[in-house]
Amino acid sequence: MTTQITSARPAAGPRKESRRRPAASSATQVGRPGFAWALPAAVFFALFAIAPLIMVVVLSFMSWDGLGSPEFVGTDNWSRLMDDPVMLKSIWLTLLLTVLGVVVQTPLSIVLGVWAAGHQRNRAVLSVIYFIPLLLSATAVSVLWRALLDPNFGIPADAGWLFGDGNLFGEQATAIGVLAFVSTWQFTPFHTLIYQGAARAIPQVLYQAAEIDGAGRYRQFFHITLPQLRNSMITSMILMIVGGLTTFETVLILTQGGPGTDTTISAYYMYDKAFKGFDFGAGSAIALALVVAATVISLIVVRVSGYDKMRSSMEGVS
Amino acid sequence: MKTRARLPRLVACGATLALALGLSACGGDGGGGSSDDGKIRVLVYGDATNKVEKRIVDTFNKTSDVKVVLDTIPGADYQKKLQTIISTPQAPDVFFNWGGGSIKPFVKADLLMPLDDLIKKNPDLENKFLPSVFNNAVVDGKPYGVPMRGTQPVLLFHNKKVLDEAGVKPPKTWDELLDAVGKLKDRGVTPIALGGGDIWPTQMWFQYLYDRVAGPELFQKAVGGDKSAWESADSKKALGMIRELVDAGAFGKNYDSVKYTNGGSPALLASGKAGFELMGSWYYSQQQTDAEKFAEKDLGYTPFPTVEGGKGDPANVAGNTNNYYSVMKKTKHPEAVAEFLKLMYSDEFVKAQLDIGNLPTTTNTDRFIDSSATPEYSRFQYDLVADAPSFQLSWDQAYPQKASSSMHQAIQQFFNGQLDADGFIKAMQALPTE
Repeated sequence: MTTQITSARPAAGPRKESRRRPAASSATQVGRPGFAWALPAAVFFALFAIAPLIMVVVLSFMSWDGLGSPEFVGTDNWSRLMDDPVMLKSIWLTLLLTVLGVVVQTPLSIVLGVWAAGHQRNRAVLSVIYFIPLLLSATAVSVLWRALLDPNFGIPADAGWLFGDGNLFGEQATAIGVLAFVSTWQFTPFHTLIYQGAARAIPQVLYQAAEIDGAGRYRQFFHITLPQLRNSMITSMILMIVGGLTTFETVLILTQGGPGTDTTISAYYMYDKAFKGFDFGAGSAIALALVVAATVISLIVVRVSGYDKMRSSMEGVS
Repeated sequence: MKTRARLPRLVACGATLALALGLSACGGDGGGGSSDDGKIRVLVYGDATNKVEKRIVDTFNKTSDVKVVLDTIPGADYQKKLQTIISTPQAPDVFFNWGGGSIKPFVKADLLMPLDDLIKKNPDLENKFLPSVFNNAVVDGKPYGVPMRGTQPVLLFHNKKVLDEAGVKPPKTWDELLDAVGKLKDRGVTPIALGGGDIWPTQMWFQYLYDRVAGPELFQKAVGGDKSAWESADSKKALGMIRELVDAGAFGKNYDSVKYTNGGSPALLASGKAGFELMGSWYYSQQQTDAEKFAEKDLGYTPFPTVEGGKGDPANVAGNTNNYYSVMKKTKHPEAVAEFLKLMYSDEFVKAQLDIGNLPTTTNTDRFIDSSATPEYSRFQYDLVADAPSFQLSWDQAYPQKASSSMHQAIQQFFNGQLDADGFIKAMQALPTE
């Protein structure tokens, strides 16, 4: 595309003005994407992402409860957070929930995605049903599950053999289990969709060739499908990781960080500090730490996986 | 799509936070008061009671040259939004609050007008209200609020049928309650329903036991900054009694997974799966909506049991004392505001509140109770509050808002055994008091 445009440029003539308004001077010429084209998006991004980010950085060095003017306190917020056991705990909990999400959702959505890419009977109907959670907001999903898991009137009341006394939200292990389960229930369909699309894009010739070579269905899956899904897997995992690091509503509605602080993940802790405790300095510091962490982890994943080089997985196919 | 939206959303969260705050901070620095447009802006919590507030405003506007404009902020975000706008030019002249710790930071920031001058001119602004209620909006010895809705004392509700079947009478003393717990447990009923998932219902047990055992002074000392109060013998005794009750299985095993706010715990009582529930007086109308037959036939209520040898007056109550109107220092029309506040003890106000099931705390409420929707229940509550030497404001409202999260954590953790008494005491001592 770039070569086309550059090769078209001399045709506009050597005169200076024509270079400025190439589209006007020549009907055949497509305008070169300049900065002006990016302006709306850039302004939007600057206004709603960069500017607030800068403000958050500034606020993280201030003490402010929303009344009066913020006061500069240096690195006080940061050193308090370093010594805060709840902060440390929240980081571990965030990582745990993120890892749980990736480990549980990835295999599930690969299997479901590959299945949904096929042409079996009833597939379309089942897929549609299966994608319903994707259409619900995280808030609705959380409210729904909180009610379904009520120990006296929900599922646990009738399945004592599985849930015991049903105190799912009263202990750390089960509360984390519930959070991981609800996220899985909600987000697996989305990742399934990614894998379904990717699996459909795998050229049939590969399977035909494998069949001629005598490979069975499992060998085909492990030696053709999985390697071909590599880039999708990375995409999906980055989304899961970033999503996991910033999970919030699920915790807010399902556990409110409890029992005690046993499910207080970092994003919830930020909310707790800023909007429940009116300690906007500390809240901003946590927010900033989260943004940095999510960016760094995404970069690492991209680098390690070679995704940034966009290597084609179709070598030798076309 | 949901997942993908998350990182931007995080940034957006930070953005909203920073922008909203940044802007309001600049506004505050600008030092511009509201321009005088001959209006008083009144901000209230948005809910069903707004129709009374609207009516009172209409009555006021009929005769006054300075008009009142009513703004409402719906739902649970009230305190957050109030704190964001209160130091900006958009701040109202008069606003709804919960008294106690909810206005303390504003008093400290010198934003509120002490009402003693208005009261000097018109003593009725204080005398027409029940003292135990009026006093909860007194900060550092000065009154800052006028009661403007209904009182909501916490009562011990029970299911008459369940209690009868277990041969239990509504308990008057702590020992009778422990006895009832044993009998109900033997019948396979959860003795006391508790929405521990919300935490504030759990907190109600602490409020009452501390008041019964130690009297209101202990908590007053603690919230006033004397943190040694938490390690006193009385404090430890109250904690010991809570431990005893929990360990006796009074709340079953899964109370932390039950919520009041999604109807879980009220349904336990209504369906006969539990015997008692400790809850604010709004519980009555809640049950009337959720389980009409039960509310009519089997819903009973008593004051919180007395504790033998306790220092607190057995007539003391705890709960939400009332809501208050506080006045901003910057208001241009203090006289008109005073006239408006006078309506908060008018006959029209009292009747309108009673009509929608609220119980005002004015001295003339007495006269109208018998013609209210639920005369017996209103009478019980009114006498309870009128005779109470002290009305303990809910702990999380008495402390500054920023303490509430840590306080709730400590309460939940002591209740479920994650913290022992010493751990709880340390956690309470670490709470900010100003």
